[in-house]
Amino acid sequence: MSFVSKAVAQPKPARAAVSSNKSAKTAAKSTKSGKLHKGPSLWYTAPALIFFGIFALIPLVGVLVLSFMNWDGLGAITFNGLGNWVRMFSDPLVMNAFKLTIILTIVSWAVQTPICILLGTFMAGTQKYRAFLAVFYFLPLLFSSTAVAITWKNLLDPNFGVGKAFGIGWLAHNWLGDPKTALWTVIFVVSWCFIPLHSLLYQGAVRQIPQTMYEAATIDGAGPIRQFFSITLPQLKYTFATDSTLMIVGSLTYFDLVYVMTGGGPGNATRILPLDMYLKGFKSYDMGGASVVGVIILALGIAVSLILNKLSGSDKMESQMEGA
Amino acid sequence: MKGTLKTKAIRLMAAVAAGATLLSVAACGAQPGGGSAKATGANATVWSLTDSTWASVQQTFEDWNKANPDAQIKNESFANDSYKEKIRTAIGSGNAPTLVLSWGGSPVTDYWTNKNIIDLTSDLDSVVKEKVLDSVAAEGYRDDKLVAVPVGQVQPAILWTNKAVLKEAGISDAPQTWDELLDDVAKLKDAGKTPIALAGGSKWPYLMWAAYLIDRIGGPDVMQNILDGKKDAWSDPAVIEAMTKIQDLVDAGAFGDSYQSMSADDKKDTALLANGQAGFDLMGSWVYADFGTINADFAKNDLGYAAFPAVEGGKGDPSMLTGNLANYWSVAASAGKESQQTAIKYLKENTYSDGIVDGLLSSGGVPPVKGIEDKVKSADDGTGFLTYVYDSVKNASNYQLSLDVALPADQGQALLNNLEQVFLKQITPQQFADAMNKTL
Amino acid sequence: MIRIKNKQYNIVGGFLGWFWFALIVIPIYYIVVTSLRDQSEIYSQNPLSLPKHFTFAAYGRVFANDFLLYIGNTLFVTIVTVALILLVTVMAAYAITRRADAGARAIYKVIITGLAIPMQATIIPVYYLIIQMGLYDTLWAIILPSVGFAIPITVMILCNFLRDIPQSLFEAMEVDGATEWKIMWRLAIPMIKPAIITVSIYDALQVWNGFLFPLILTQSSSNRVITLSLWAFQGQFTVDIPGILAAVVVSVIPILTAYIIGRKQMVAGLTAGFSK
Repeated sequence: MSFVSKAVAQPKPARAAVSSNKSAKTAAKSTKSGKLHKGPSLWYTAPALIFFGIFALIPLVGVLVLSFMNWDGLGAITFNGLGNWVRMFSDPLVMNAFKLTIILTIVSWAVQTPICILLGTFMAGTQKYRAFLAVFYFLPLLFSSTAVAITWKNLLDPNFGVGKAFGIGWLAHNWLGDPKTALWTVIFVVSWCFIPLHSLLYQGAVRQIPQTMYEAATIDGAGPIRQFFSITLPQLKYTFATDSTLMIVGSLTYFDLVYVMTGGGPGNATRILPLDMYLKGFKSYDMGGASVVGVIILALGIAVSLILNKLSGSDKMESQMEGA
Repeated sequence: MKGTLKTKAIRLMAAVAAGATLLSVAACGAQPGGGSAKATGANATVWSLTDSTWASVQQTFEDWNKANPDAQIKNESFANDSYKEKIRTAIGSGNAPTLVLSWGGSPVTDYWTNKNIIDLTSDLDSVVKEKVLDSVAAEGYRDDKLVAVPVGQVQPAILWTNKAVLKEAGISDAPQTWDELLDDVAKLKDAGKTPIALAGGSKWPYLMWAAYLIDRIGGPDVMQNILDGKKDAWSDPAVIEAMTKIQDLVDAGAFGDSYQSMSADDKKDTALLANGQAGFDLMGSWVYADFGTINADFAKNDLGYAAFPAVEGGKGDPSMLTGNLANYWSVAASAGKESQQTAIKYLKENTYSDGIVDGLLSSGGVPPVKGIEDKVKSADDGTGFLTYVYDSVKNASNYQLSLDVALPADQGQALLNNLEQVFLKQITPQQFADAMNKTL
Repeated sequence: MIRIKNKQYNIVGGFLGWFWFALIVIPIYYIVVTSLRDQSEIYSQNPLSLPKHFTFAAYGRVFANDFLLYIGNTLFVTIVTVALILLVTVMAAYAITRRADAGARAIYKVIITGLAIPMQATIIPVYYLIIQMGLYDTLWAIILPSVGFAIPITVMILCNFLRDIPQSLFEAMEVDGATEWKIMWRLAIPMIKPAIITVSIYDALQVWNGFLFPLILTQSSSNRVITLSLWAFQGQFTVDIPGILAAVVVSVIPILTAYIIGRKQMVAGLTAGFSK
């Protein structure tokens, strides 16, 4: 599983390397002075490991185990072999949910990322009105998914929503009620919800780009657009990898927003994997089948992290860090 | 000196905090079922519904609590859908309320097989047999033991009409046959109305259409085969024809264009009918009281009701009903002995007592109680609706419990799902049958 | 120089900036005006017009539904969760960065793995665990898994900050004979205060706005938190649109207040914390 730490550690490989170098030196020095200070005992990590172990690692194994079990939530848990897996893989709902999840993940990533980069770059600037806008920009971050879902559900209601306000016919469409538009509407609301956080990440990254690079480029006569593409974007590479991982892994779990807004409907138009898992587990009481779906979500998340990690070429970084 | 003291103090505090957390966790862990739905001592808990028809039942809890200060029954009310979502989890985790509300069907079977509810035969069998109509009482028995005691009104699905709207569209009477219904749909559409209000967002209203059509076309055996889990039972020609007829209706624009997002919990469909925007609404008898709340004038003058139309050439008997029979109380096995006794005593005193029967009737509900014809008649407020329901239930050749309740949970959910896709025309009748056969 | 650079981005960024502004402000304005509207005017008035008759009746209905209790529950859950998270992660991050040996690195990797894994997919075993621990339908059922799930990101951020503390400072304290515990409290924690603020804000937001754990792991209204009560409220009073939106406003107010008071730290903290 080391790929994960790679993805996350990427932005700062150099520092990690340095610090481990330094602590090695420290250790050596302490030894000299007769004090064996290797830093605090590893027991310091015990409380965190206990929490993480009980509520993250055990369930991680548990969901795999349960995927081979039958459990209706009431009775005993019994072994079912590959039964659930066979059933789930021939279940059109699961296939449909898989497809929808892929669409939701890719599209919402593709929609959010450019907007977040642009917004982040814009926010990193110092225009006077920017401060005013900034006050509002991050408001969606404060809303719970439930609140966001309820708000948009009402805003998009064809009878008393915003469509009616502007008197624009097409805007008064039954966005969430029409199977053809429901998923796209969900993607829109998901983006609304998460753009602030991800723009923040990019904003912080843009601010860390050394000004001298822009100054040099300006002297070389590079225009703003060229500067954006030749300086800003390349410099955002690691942020891009980290942020994309967070965004995609996050989007595999957009449960609450969709659940409150559409409940998976109309039809199964927005029944994405997490929703399918919930409905199977807590409406059909098919905990085994739901666990299979859970494992599929996990596998997807891990696969995405692996691929992103490979794509961003962090192997070198990793070995550098390990070697230090 | 000061510094070390301070550090020590901080260290101590941290240790205490960590220890306290672990302790509190351990302490909670030591008492399984520390949840608050569990009652203490002789007190009992109950979850009921926010629906207006539950007012008379909730009143009995209040009365009970005044009379029994040492054995209080704590009621908590839920919306229909969130209740259904919570109750099974509560039972599975040993946190069930003392009195477990259900609609009969497979959940009761599951609870009983898993010993989540207790046998009530010795305490309540005579009461139930003496008072409750047989078709409704029977649903409360498993393995010849009484495990669920009926409560509340009988709830068949009724074809509600707005007489004023029908008249406006040139329709004089409620349709007797399927073809007449199709004609009426066309007329209503021409008159600019939504012909049939349908709360598709809740999914279960779809079931009423499916159950009635399957029965009218193929008779009760078709459904029985499905409930018995016979192989390929969903491929019965009657099922295919019923699904085809449903899609015919959809094609005819019978349900308007926003039915798939209307929720029955919002009463959006009943409002559509009551406010003169729709001509028909196939919905449970329990909405009768709601019509009065939404539009009293309509409830008094223009509200009509009819049996589901017959299908030409069908084997089914038009007296057959579908819908919920009634609600049922079971007593949770996880509750303490004293709490169980409180619940049983409450049920003995309150199972269709005169007060409850009168209360139900006055709120527009029909109790499934034997020999109350006169009471029903005198409670009728001119529309004759209560008598109509009482007689229909008493005389029904067959009363099919709502399919999502009658079928095991996973099959019921699959049915809701596939049926919705039939309505949305995302699958064909044949695909529906194939998908459903897989669940058997 | 800074000026020059920023002017260059005005056109695209600026347009997007104002568009985004509108996209934020309109929904919020809509929630507020609708919550102040009379139920009878919902269908008849323009949804974005000011109400003809301002009324706070909807808020009355919301508070009559025990929203204060739910806010209290949520506050309790949030404070306890964040306190627990800080306690365990600061210790862990401190040990991991100070030691920086193979064992510490292995532990770091295991914990950080959680970041790339959609943890919510394990909700069914979590549900099972909570039932087995007898914690179902208690506030602890929300608190404990929330702590577990928040550990990866929190440890990552804290480690990133801790690594920046110059070694010489640690060495100086060691020479003075300070214990590791003391070094952690007197040196490390004060030095990474901004990080602690950041993770507190982030984790608090996550917990305050969390929905899945409360939905699955609690049931009774006495243990309801704000997100769940919002959902229950809209399920129960579906036609009461002003009431539902008033509930939304009420649910956001505590966080909004915190935002108004500490906006600068919040935004700066999050920016720094994540982009480090």
